[in-house]
Amino acid sequence: MEYAWLIPVAPLLAFVIVGFFGNKTKEGGGAIALGSVLIAFVLSILVSYEYFVTSGLFDSGEAYAPAPFQWLVFGDYALNFGIYIDSLTCVMLLFSSFISLMIFLYSIGYMKGEGARKRRYYAEIALFLGAMLGLILSSNYLEMFIFWELMGVCSYLLIGFWSYKHPEGDAASEAAASAAKKAFLVTRLGDVCMMAGLFVLLFAFKSLDFTTLFDPAEIANVDSGMIILGSLLLFGGVIGKSAQFPLQDWLPDAMAGPTTVSALIHAATMVKAGVYLVARSYPLFIQSADVMLVVAVIGGVTAFIAATMALNNMSLKRVLAYSTVSQLGLMIMALGAGGYVIAMTAGDYHASLGYTAGVFHMMNHAFFKALLFMCAGSVIHAVASEDLRQMGGLSRKMRITSATMFIGALSIAGFPFFSGFWSKDLVFESVMNPYASGLPAGDIFLFLFALALITAFMTAFYMFRMWYMTFKGKPKEAAEHCHGESPKTMTVPLIILSLFAVGSGFLLFVGLNDIITFSVIGGEFMVGGNGKTAEYLFWHVLENKWTYVSLALSLSGIFLAYLMYSRRIINPARFNMGGRSGLYRFLTARYYFPQLYDQISLKLGYGVAKGVDYVDKNLIDGTVDGISNAISGSSDTMRKMQTGNVRNYAAIVIIGTMVLVAVLFILVRFGGV
Amino acid sequence: MPRKVMTMIPIEMFLILSAALFCIGLVGVLVKTNGIVILMCIELMLNAANINFIAFAAYLGDALGQVFVLMAIAVAAAEVGIGIAILLNVYKAKKTTDVDDLTILRW
Repeated sequence: MEYAWLIPVAPLLAFVIVGFFGNKTKEGGGAIALGSVLIAFVLSILVSYEYFVTSGLFDSGEAYAPAPFQWLVFGDYALNFGIYIDSLTCVMLLFSSFISLMIFLYSIGYMKGEGARKRRYYAEIALFLGAMLGLILSSNYLEMFIFWELMGVCSYLLIGFWSYKHPEGDAASEAAASAAKKAFLVTRLGDVCMMAGLFVLLFAFKSLDFTTLFDPAEIANVDSGMIILGSLLLFGGVIGKSAQFPLQDWLPDAMAGPTTVSALIHAATMVKAGVYLVARSYPLFIQSADVMLVVAVIGGVTAFIAATMALNNMSLKRVLAYSTVSQLGLMIMALGAGGYVIAMTAGDYHASLGYTAGVFHMMNHAFFKALLFMCAGSVIHAVASEDLRQMGGLSRKMRITSATMFIGALSIAGFPFFSGFWSKDLVFESVMNPYASGLPAGDIFLFLFALALITAFMTAFYMFRMWYMTFKGKPKEAAEHCHGESPKTMTVPLIILSLFAVGSGFLLFVGLNDIITFSVIGGEFMVGGNGKTAEYLFWHVLENKWTYVSLALSLSGIFLAYLMYSRRIINPARFNMGGRSGLYRFLTARYYFPQLYDQISLKLGYGVAKGVDYVDKNLIDGTVDGISNAISGSSDTMRKMQTGNVRNYAAIVIIGTMVLVAVLFILVRFGGV
Repeated sequence: MPRKVMTMIPIEMFLILSAALFCIGLVGVLVKTNGIVILMCIELMLNAANINFIAFAAYLGDALGQVFVLMAIAVAAAEVGIGIAILLNVYKAKKTTDVDDLTILRW
């Protein structure tokens, strides 16, 4: 485990090597990037094995956190660089590096036609992954924040990858550039919040190390108001990064990048970092039930809103993007609901399965969303279009893609015994829990639960709407050019991931339940499902009546999509009145959120900018200009003395000498010097 | 061997002479526009100072003043040499030695 720091170093090194020498190697450095992620994955396995099995730390519920390298020390404060390994770290490391391995492998087929620009692509995704792995291993918030920002930069670069030459033309490349800017600026809003949170915590705890911050004794010493403020500000960072309401809008636009980048952002890195931050900050967040309530409500609202926007979208990738936002909302909501119960029951860490549900869903989502995105990429690669209306009938030409995507859709829709089924029902159960146990905010959670159920229905519906429109029915114009299945480097990852999309849910019953826990040094703090046996969980899900309600809703969603888009018994146009219905336009316009952003940034941002500009131009520039004007003005006047006439100078010298002599004379004569 | 004081010209005479010479040189520097004349006037002022030196040296019986004068004459010779060389070059370039016309070394 002492070599765990090598995990992020491998991809970061690959970034440097590919960045400088990529074009001299085959595939623009793709092989090097792939090799580095393989190293990271193998190291992650070794580290996890050591943590769980040989070190004995896991059994005692302790985290591995060696004394960090002191980076900056000033006064009482020290900023450190170190690693922190507990079971959450291991789970994150494993699925992040594994999925990235699949995505990198897939990229080699997908990016084949990019020519010399592949170097840039491989260098950037290696950096992206390195930053994610570094963030997971960080031992303090500042280190985490550095990697967090590094990911922001990478997402900006990768979303704008096609900004100067998009395969779909100039308009698309402009859209890519503006989407990249949007992703960067919107997440920046969250990052500012997070940074403010770091200041608050640093002020309160005099340290940002997890070992200090998560120590119950330390927490007891600190003013709880500071912790609440710090937690809320940190959650602001999560809202930005994980695209939660009201900053959810950048993620759908981020589809402008290559599909592999979307897969990376949605499944392995970036947005998962936000959920990870909530999971990691649990000891702070559960100090206040109100914070957890905020978290849960934001998650629930996001899940619902994003799902509605996916209902009528016509772009293959955007439907997936909205579904990611929606699923992220579910994870955040589960974490919030679980934390709320823990906070209300005064720190009974086993009171709720919310933590397990959130992290478990994050992992399952990583598998099936990576799968879905890569299937979408395979389709787009084949037909060169993202518009669902131009597809159809592809299942005959692309058997592997259509089958794997079907599995992914079943999984996300929560079809029984697929991975999404287990985690989604755990999420629902944990959201129901506060109401069922009669806690004060139970009504709010009942409402959130209702939102979650509707979301489940909509998820099933829009995923299968997408699937039927792509793979069934009559082939439309774009589908005609389809030249068959994608190359092996693309289909092999699809098959591997589809196995996980089916099976990763069962990991819950072979010990994952115990693994999704949170540990600190000393082992005094553990949340998660420990103490619950596999049989308990299995029957817990199956005996819960709400499982059947959500299952019925999912199935009816699938069936409705089948009727509307495959059998065409119900004409979808009846609902939108040929695109004129208010609701249809409202959803297409994404609840007018982009306009809201524009208005806010125009009115508020532009107003502030004008004010700042005024101060800059008049106050700051005025001072500087005034000083320089005074100097140049006075020198303008003074230089007139320089006539260039020798006799004038001589006269001045002589007069001056005479005056001096006269003064000296007067002083000697009358002053008595 | 000490001289008789009676036979000596009073020092005031020398001082008046040198002051007059200095003032003539000064007025010349200020009034004349020809560079060469100005140089000559500067020489006059230098020599006025030299007379002072010699007068005091003789009056006080100290040879140091004379040494200074020799030094000043040597320096003045060099200075005139350079001054005239500059003026010669200026004349070649500008076809004039009138200092009122030579005002380009300014803003």
